[in-house]
Amino acid sequence: MHVITLLIGTLFIPTASAAGSATTGSDPETGLAFWRYEAEGILFELNQRLPDQTRAFFQARGFDTDTANQFATSCVFQSRLLNTAVAGGASLQFNLNEWRVISGNKSSSMATTDDWMPRWKKQSIGQAARIAFKWSLLPSEQTYAPGDYNWGMTSYDQPPGTRFNLTLVWHREGKRESATIRNIECPADSPQETP
Amino acid sequence: MSIPTMWRQLSATLLLLCTLIFPPVQAAGTSQLLQALPERPKAGDFQLTDLDGTEHRLSRYRGRVVIVNFWATWCPPCREEMPSMQRAWELLEPEGIVMLAINIGEDEDTIFQFTANFPVEFPLLLDQDSATIQSWPVRGLPTTYVVDPQGRLAYRAIGGRAWDDPALLDMVRALK
Repeated sequence: MHVITLLIGTLFIPTASAAGSATTGSDPETGLAFWRYEAEGILFELNQRLPDQTRAFFQARGFDTDTANQFATSCVFQSRLLNTAVAGGASLQFNLNEWRVISGNKSSSMATTDDWMPRWKKQSIGQAARIAFKWSLLPSEQTYAPGDYNWGMTSYDQPPGTRFNLTLVWHREGKRESATIRNIECPADSPQETP
Repeated sequence: MSIPTMWRQLSATLLLLCTLIFPPVQAAGTSQLLQALPERPKAGDFQLTDLDGTEHRLSRYRGRVVIVNFWATWCPPCREEMPSMQRAWELLEPEGIVMLAINIGEDEDTIFQFTANFPVEFPLLLDQDSATIQSWPVRGLPTTYVVDPQGRLAYRAIGGRAWDDPALLDMVRALK
């Protein structure tokens, strides 16, 4: 039973949070880690995406190797954000530009579509590829009624393997609320094969 | 405790944990709601071609309720809601309600391949340069608007829904 207790312990580690609860664990099949924050009316979830997965997704949509790699190695997660309030509950607004990435003693912003899109235009990425990119990321800004949600990639502009804390910010009924998910780990990259 | 017994217990525990950690989307707070838009802004007109080459102009459907869905084949919640949209369309189409699903940025071949696994009969329109979605108040996929017979945006849903839910269908029908 000690083995079971140990495994459960590594799968489901609660971390500190002011208003709700943050949990982390890993997918038993892939071994990829996830982090989840849940409080009344909100759920935010991050699932690690291997750089190989992200490179393949964007190369299949018109990105060249170099540009797909720029994004794939920028600490990308598949994310899900939901307004979990019941019918008649409050709307939830967020702007990812308010969220903070804290690594070591350095605090920075996330890299949102607002940051990436001008970069792709400057690097002459084709229109179809830019459209796929724009709509596959979590929107930078959104207002959710109860029951609304989005899935999308999020990028934290950190090297593979970096650990960081993420402060989420959202607004509900005119009030600013926040919470921190601690010790998130950017997915590691596998060595690139050279031809 | 024998090793096989221990592994059986471990498997059962892991299965239970997975169910708790990765609940189905519907259980994770996605209710069957459509958000009413009290001001009912005018829907932006568009003219787009479907997979059969037929042109659809939104303003030609004036006088009818129109469900306008924005989606892409690689978008998991878009794929998840497609079968329920087909079931809803089978109920609503005989009642004169229109359903248009606007694909963003993909080509006909990609969408044809998608329909092999997700067969739908309502029109799938192509917005390859994304000009239409950019002229609508949409920030993420899927997003769906229900347009009233006067051509105004009456309801919005961000994220997938079970479109064949009777309560949701009644909200759509009440616009007629």
